[in-house]
Formats: sequence, C-alpha cells, structure tokens
Amino acid sequence: MRRLEPAARALVLILAVSLSAGFISSGCGGKSSGESGYSGTVNASGSTTVLPLALEAATEFMDANPRANVQVQGGGSSVGIAQLKQRIVQIALSSRELQPGENDGTFVDFRIAFDIIVIIVHPSVPINNLSYDAVKGIFTGKITNWKALGGPDRKIVVVVRDQASGTREVFDEKALGSTKEEPVESVDSAIELNSNGVVRETIAATRYSIGYLSYGYVDERVRPVSINGVAPTVENSSSGRYPIARYLHMFTRGQPSGAAKGYIDFVLSDQFQNGPVRREYIPVKKVQKR
Amino acid sequence: MSARKADRIATFVFTLLGFISIGILLFIILEVLGRGLLTAINPKFFLGKPEAMNPGGGILPMIVSSLYLAVLTLIVALPISVGAAIYMAEFARKGRLVSSIRFSLDSLATLPSIVFGLFGMTLFVVYFRWGMALMAGAFTLALLNLPILLRSTEEAIKLVPQTYREASMSLGASRWTTIRQIVIPSAMPGIITATILPIGRIMGESAAIVLTVGTFIRNIPVNPFSMGAPLAGYIWFAQSEGLTPDYRKIVNGGAAFLLLLVLVVYFLARYAGRKYQEKKLMGARDGK
Amino acid sequence: MRESLARSLIKGDKEAYMKLLLLACASLSILGILLIFLFITRESIPAFVHIGFKNMFLSAHWSPITGHFGMVGFIVGTLFTTVIAIVISAPLGIGTALYIDQIAPEWLRTPVRRGVELLAGIPSIVIGWFGLITLVPIVARITNTSGYGILTASLVLVVMALPTITTLSAETLKSIPQELKEGSAAMGATRWQTMYRVMLPAAREGLMVATILGMGRAIGETMAVQMVIGGARQLTVNPFQPTSTLTTRILTEMGEATGDWRSALFAMALVLLLLSMILIISIRLVSRQRRVAA
Repeated sequence: MRRLEPAARALVLILAVSLSAGFISSGCGGKSSGESGYSGTVNASGSTTVLPLALEAATEFMDANPRANVQVQGGGSSVGIAQLKQRIVQIALSSRELQPGENDGTFVDFRIAFDIIVIIVHPSVPINNLSYDAVKGIFTGKITNWKALGGPDRKIVVVVRDQASGTREVFDEKALGSTKEEPVESVDSAIELNSNGVVRETIAATRYSIGYLSYGYVDERVRPVSINGVAPTVENSSSGRYPIARYLHMFTRGQPSGAAKGYIDFVLSDQFQNGPVRREYIPVKKVQKR
Repeated sequence: MSARKADRIATFVFTLLGFISIGILLFIILEVLGRGLLTAINPKFFLGKPEAMNPGGGILPMIVSSLYLAVLTLIVALPISVGAAIYMAEFARKGRLVSSIRFSLDSLATLPSIVFGLFGMTLFVVYFRWGMALMAGAFTLALLNLPILLRSTEEAIKLVPQTYREASMSLGASRWTTIRQIVIPSAMPGIITATILPIGRIMGESAAIVLTVGTFIRNIPVNPFSMGAPLAGYIWFAQSEGLTPDYRKIVNGGAAFLLLLVLVVYFLARYAGRKYQEKKLMGARDGK
Repeated sequence: MRESLARSLIKGDKEAYMKLLLLACASLSILGILLIFLFITRESIPAFVHIGFKNMFLSAHWSPITGHFGMVGFIVGTLFTTVIAIVISAPLGIGTALYIDQIAPEWLRTPVRRGVELLAGIPSIVIGWFGLITLVPIVARITNTSGYGILTASLVLVVMALPTITTLSAETLKSIPQELKEGSAAMGATRWQTMYRVMLPAAREGLMVATILGMGRAIGETMAVQMVIGGARQLTVNPFQPTSTLTTRILTEMGEATGDWRSALFAMALVLLLLSMILIISIRLVSRQRRVAA
C-alpha cells in the first residue's frame, strides 16, 4: 500500500471529521427506553407562517415524549391542506380559513394562535391613521406620493411580502379586498421580502416606506398605523373592529388520536400558548369568541 | 501624450485595478468575519442545535449536513469522473462522440445552478419519490461538478508520463491492466488534490440544494435519504425567514463559519497541491 | 473503431467491456444535459399550452394570482444586471490580469493571483449576505432609496464575475508567446505600448471568452442577487429601483407555485437554458475565429 500523500491525508482527515461528527452526535441524545408518553409518528405540513410554531412545539413535545416522532414540513397552507386530504399528513398547518370545496366534511379545525397584521411606516412618515381607501390606494399603486395624504412631498416606498406568504394572503384579502374571483394585486414596484423580520429591518431603515407586519414583530423602530381610526390592538381585533387579523390553524381529519392528539393538546396548552405563541402572536384564549 | 507618460498612466491605472480587486476580497472577508467570527468560534454555536423560534440556536446539524453532502457527492461523482477522464485521456479519438461530450461538459459548466436544482427536484425529489434528501442533493451536485472534476482528473491522468505506459505495455501488460496498475495509481495524488477544491464549492452551493436537500432540520442527519440542511442553504433560510429574534447574529455567525470552512479547504488544497508538485519534481529528479 | 469494439464485445474481450464502461461514464455528461433539457421542457409545456408564448414572453405583467405570467420584466432584469456587471467587471478583471502578468513585482504576483482565486471560492450566499448588510445600506444612503435594486445587484454580480474574468484573462495573457512580448520591448516600446499594440490584440479571443464566461456567471447567479435586488415584479431600467431576475423569481416562487404558475417558472428556466446555450455557441464562434486566424 502506497504511503498516503499529504493530499490524501487531507482528504481522509476531512472525511474522518465529518463521519465522526455524525456518529458521535447521533449517538448522543438517543431515545431512552421505557419512557411513558405518546408514541408513534405524526406528519404535519403546510403554512410556512405556522411552521416555526409547529417546529418549536414538535421539539418540546418530542423532548417530553421521547417515543413520539413529529415530522413538520412547510410548503404552504394549500399544500398542507391538499396533503391532509390525500392522507399524506395527519395535520395540516394553515394560516388561512378553509376555502369552499376544501373541507370534505371530515376536517376538524383547531385554532392555535391569533395574528394581527399591523400596517407600519418609517418614523419619517408623520401619519398615524389611514382610511381603507388610502391603504388600498397606496398598496395598489394608485397613490404614489405621501403629499396626497397630507404628508411630505415624497414618493411612497411600498414593501410587501412574497407571494407564498400567509401574512400577505391575509393582508391582500382583508385590507385590499382581494378575493379568489377578483384578486387584487399589489403594485408591481413594491419591494417583496421574505419574512416579517426582514420587512421590519427594511422599513426601519428606509425613509417614507410603508409595509405590514405580524403583531409580535412590531418594535419601536417602526410606527404602527390605525385604520379608519381603529388601532391594531388585541381588543380591537378580537371584537372585529380591526379586521386585518386571522387565526392560525391546525386541521385534522376527524378527531385526532394518539400522538397527534397529544401534539395538538400540547400546542393548545397554557405552557406553549403563553410561551412561544405569545412571543409573536396572541394566545387563542386571550381572544374573545368571534 | 508622450509614450512615457502614457506608460506611467497605464501602470498606475492597472495597479489601481489590481489593488481594487484584492481590496474587494479583503473588504468582504473583513466584513463577514468582523461581524460573525465571535459567534462562529463559540462552541455553543457550532456545536448547538438550531432553534426555530427561540434565540440561542446553533448550527451543528448544518455543518454535518454540509460535510455529509460533500462526502456523498464525491462518492457519486468521483467514480464517474475518473472513469470518464480515463476514457477521455486514454481512448478518446477526435470524432462526433468526443465533441458531443465536450460540448455537453461545457453546457453543464455554464448552466445556472438553480436549473440544476429544478432538475434535481423534478427527478430525484418528485419522480424518484426520494423527497427532500441528502442523496438528491448529492446526485444533483455530482452532475453540477462533473465538468470541473473531469477536467482536473483528466489533467492529472494526462500528466502521467507516456514512458510509464510504454514501459508497462512493452512488458506485455494489456491496456486495461496498464491503466489500472500504473496510470491510476500514478495519477492518484493529482486526482485527490484536484478533489479537495470542489469540496469547498460543494459546501458553498446553495441554490441547487434548497430545492433538493432542505433548509432546516433539528437533528443531525444520519440516513442519506433523509432531509438535510447544509449550512449554505440554512444561512439563506435563516435570513429570509428571520424567525428567531437573533437571526442576524445567527446568519452572521453562519456566514463567518462557512467562510472559514471554505478558507480552510482552499488552503488545504493549495498545501496538498504544493506537496504533490514537490513530490513530482523529486520523483522526476530521481529518474523514476 | 466502433465496429471493432462491437466485435471485441461479442468475443467477450474483457478490455472491450472496460472501454465501454468508461465510455458510458464519459457519455453521462451527454445524458445529463439531455435529461436536464428534457425535464425542464416537459415541466414547462403546460405553460406554453395554457398561457401561451405571447402572454409569457411579450408581456411584463407578472401577477400569478390574477393569472398573468408575463416575464419580460425578469428577462430585462437578468440582462440589465448582467450588462452593468460586465461593464464594470470586464475592465476591472482584464486590468487586474494585466497587472498580474506585466506590472506586478515578482513577490506580489502569486499572492494577487491566489487572492483572486480565493474570491472565486467565496460562497455566493456569503457574498449575498455581505451585499445585504453592507452594500444595501451604503447604496441607500448615497441614493436616498431603499438600497435594493439593479445597481446593488450588479455590484454583487461584479464580485461574482470578477474572478472568472481575471483568472481566464491572466491565463490567456500568460499564453502569449514570450517572443512577441520581448520583440516589442526590443524595439523600444514601453510596457503600455507592448500591452496595447501586441498583447491585447493577440489575446483578444481569449479575453472575449473570459468575458463571455463572466457573463455566464452573472446570468446564472441566484442567491446573492436575490438578497439585494428587492424582488419587485416590475419591468424597470432604473438602477435604483427594485426588480427581479429570472433566477431570483424561480427561487422565491418555486416553493409555493402550483399548476400553470409552476409551469411558467419552468419556462423561465428554459429561457436560462437557452441563454447558456447562446453563450456556449458564442464562445465556440469566437474560438473558431482564432483558429482560422492562426
């Protein structure tokens, strides 16, 4: 056997490190036997908005129930609902209500969080309130300058979410009045960003910009705007006075059982609701019955 | 303008351009490392598990995914590249077939990586029903890196002195035996050296793998047909989703770590290449 | 050769089997590119059937939810960012190559070359992140806009295309016969005159190939551009306005697109495939010129 060249040595080193890292780490954190708790595999997929919550819940649930295995994937609300219908998954994550035709009569709806979409502007925009028409005009490109609304003579920089976003879907539906039959499209010069976090960063840094965020993301660097005099608070949203809000859902076919039930129970538990859910959304219990 | 003056201006301009190019390199490295190095070298970070919503996540499964993916890709790509290179270096004659092969390789080399990602997604993830999997990425990246692997391997084989082959054949060995016993072992150091650099490229690839391998996993992947989350793809995912409150810190750290990884691989490849050159020179000197 | 190979195979000659196996390996490249072409075309057919060539390639109105799939805006985005990027990086790259080859002192030559190689190895996602957190704020401050847009995307593409152009140009310059360079110097020409009158003409084809390959790099870049271009759907040639390229649109929408929308994205991939082929053929044409001239 030829003496290994330095090059070969380097290659072997890289391979050895990666394989050992894999084996060592997979060795740790192995499931201990004989634990009580739920067992079995649960597959969930759907909304990328709900995904982080679902992933977080899955992690904590699996920590508490080592014999359970919860697999969560994204793909979008529509994909999740379709996969639920095809029985590829047991739970569909959705950031919207079911559309007519999607529910074949067996779907059960678990509301797991409440989300308020807040319209925000950069502090340079001296406006605290907008009418519905103004909002629609701005985001569809009919109003292009802040002076039309009593603001400074500056072009409005519109920021929206990407096409796959559940947040965008709700905004388009509830603020722009977009429907399946008559969809309303945002202005095509709008900056499209992929997440609440990046939207906030961009609006906080761009003068004369306007956009929308989930309630939990609003911080002091951006200014929330009231719509028709109604402020985007939990109270106003749950009473329906501020309508740009929605529930986040987990759908199942029929009542869930086994690990799926355990998982959903955990998501609805006080511990999870007052923990991760509260960080970015509003716990369901806080919302009055609508 | 006198010729001397023009010469001086030209010298100044081109020197400036050269320095700008290096300046760009240094600027990027300094910015990325400046923002993320402290996070990257923190064991809690590179040995920790990622978080979906909470701060304090780590990137260990991502690092393992990247390395694992590189290994899998090489396992798939090397035999094919070496085989193809042997053919091109030893047997190929000018003709339509060889021209087609060269043209295909050029095409593969110029194609955008996202097209490879779409192809890999359509074929391996959907059609073969593997789902998002490290192996899907491995095959996709093998195809993507085929041109460069083949070229380097071919060069290594061509560098084997013709005298070796002639000596072997004159001793009665068949063509195939010559290749297997003499040419390949002689070219092996060159082949291995040429393989190290693509490792860096594989770990840095993101567009082709976010559609085929995955962007987020909690645990270290073991099954090659399971989903992975190579670091390059995870960085993009983390910055585009911005889910955890500290996502900027995580992306800074991830980017810095990836940069370090690539730098290490690059210098390793250079070092190995140099040692190989020295060995060749010494071997030539001893008239072996 | 093929008849003898077939005859050998029938004879059961082991060597012939081996040769066939190796040939199969080499032919995988042909299979690869054909498969890619096939699959992309197949997935894009529904778009051509349901949406139509005119609505996709002669319209800039991209709005999947209202059923519009005009991608001209993105084609323009791709081409425009590429052109600006090449206009900057070609002189920069060729100039750097000239510096390395002719002007740099011996001790600087290798480090600069290695530095450029290193730049090539930096992952595009890292460059994209750098663009997002460093370039976007700078551009925003200078131009008083959001900082996202064609200009920032082009700057990022400069970083990606530069190493390709520089390295290939340097190789080309190095391959110019030494006698040509020395002959010019012997006649009393200054370094610049040698470069201008002798080297650049001699290297013309190689430099063109380097530039075309740099273009290929720019056209195909996805990640880095996606993070800084702003993702707007509009057709614009204003460098300070956000827009999208073919690659970034595919990346951001593929995850959620279904049906005809998804098929339209594959049609975009087909356009990218075509652009790559155009580049390769251009390179072949340019190289053939050189062979004829020689």
